[in-house]
Amino acid sequence: MNKKELYDSFIALTKATQANLEQLQLLQSEISQVIEQNAELEIENEHLRDLLNQSKGSAKEPQLSKSRQNLEKLYEEGFHVCKEWYGKRREDDEACAFCMEVIYREG
Amino acid sequence: MKFSIRRSVFIKELNNVQRAISSKTTIPILTGLKLVASDEGLTLTGSNADISIETVISASDEDNGLAIASTGAIVLPARFFSEIIKRLPEDTFELNVTEGFQTEITSGSAAFNVNGLDANNYPHLPEIDTTDAIKLDGAVFKELISQTVIAVSNQESRPILTGVHFELDADQFLAVATDSHRLSQRKVNLPTGSSTKHNVIIPGKSLIELSRMIGDEYDQVEMRLSENQALFILGETSFYTRLLEGTYPDTSRLIPSEAETTVEFEAPALLASIERASLLSHESRNNVIKLIIKPTEQTVTIFGNSPDVGKVEEDLKPNAVTGSELEISFNPDYMKDALHSFGQSTIKISFTSALRPFTLVPTEDQENFIQLITPVRTF
Ligand SMILES: [Zn+2]
Repeated sequence: MNKKELYDSFIALTKATQANLEQLQLLQSEISQVIEQNAELEIENEHLRDLLNQSKGSAKEPQLSKSRQNLEKLYEEGFHVCKEWYGKRREDDEACAFCMEVIYREG
Repeated sequence: MKFSIRRSVFIKELNNVQRAISSKTTIPILTGLKLVASDEGLTLTGSNADISIETVISASDEDNGLAIASTGAIVLPARFFSEIIKRLPEDTFELNVTEGFQTEITSGSAAFNVNGLDANNYPHLPEIDTTDAIKLDGAVFKELISQTVIAVSNQESRPILTGVHFELDADQFLAVATDSHRLSQRKVNLPTGSSTKHNVIIPGKSLIELSRMIGDEYDQVEMRLSENQALFILGETSFYTRLLEGTYPDTSRLIPSEAETTVEFEAPALLASIERASLLSHESRNNVIKLIIKPTEQTVTIFGNSPDVGKVEEDLKPNAVTGSELEISFNPDYMKDALHSFGQSTIKISFTSALRPFTLVPTEDQENFIQLITPVRTF
């Protein structure tokens, strides 16, 4: 390979890498959107099931209300359930005081 | 523009103003230091996107050795200019803007010629339209800053949490910061109250710079708050910072009002134990330590382990243990930060459950300073 060819193929490789990176970033943002949407749908689904069960007249009295349990489940799966960052991923699974308050507050 | 001045006086003020000057700014003129000579004295200004600092060296104070021969203004490359001033041979130097923006700096037999910039192109400092000046004790304010900035978030993805929330109502001043994992809140009674209510969010980074500038030197700080800027006046120096836009989340609801289990410790002793346990937790992926509290036996035991390295167990020496038995896990780094802020005092830790945030307060003053840490679920 002469110097010109070497240089040209380097340019070509750089361009290809940039294109790949752009596509990767696009995919990343799409994925996080899908995950967030999925989280919201799950909450909604649980809510609907909840209503369905209620209308069937289930009389069990759990420690946490059904909707709080759903929030707890979602939180454990790694999503915020607080008003501030609802449906967003909890970065590195770190604890969120706002979520805790929503799930476990009295009353 | 021409003046001469005592070099040590100038360097001291230059060091303060330089806190606001960054070499990495997108606006080239802001890498410069603005100098304005008037009959009253010499004004130094430095600015970046977040903070601006302006200070006045008075011509009437003889200690400054300031003689204004002719008035005017110039912007000089800050880093280069300050290196020059610091290395000049004599106790005084003279600065003279000659032709255009050419600036001559002389001290003894050394003479520099520096290219300056037109001061008319330097951005104007923010206007603070309020007359409500809140007087703060320098040492107390510095303490308030150091106690709250530890809980500020460093994640730019949640900009609002990178600031400290200031709320002022009459003589009550409340400062709170949280990164959503932990929270720190300090209340101060103001000597003279604020005539209007204020609710602002100040960038944590600005407060850290401000606190460094207060140092041990200023025992009085005056604070003025407007819509999108805050101004702090320290003697002859004005420190401006932008405010963060938006509404700070309601944090009052995060602080539990009742406790199921409480323990009391000497802060330094607990800190030493937590640091020991974290030696191992730091080696593990999730960085968590566990406390087991048994009030009937008056014991508190700390556990740390790392699957790769090993484990640690230590019986702590609490001053008091009350309430129900509890097992709780948390990130030791948050606990360390919190304990550092209590210095030598005795602290009370109040728990509601293994899942709810717990609080730390100094036993001496349980009202005005509170730290909150969110536990980690381990099952
Ligand atoms: Zn949350």
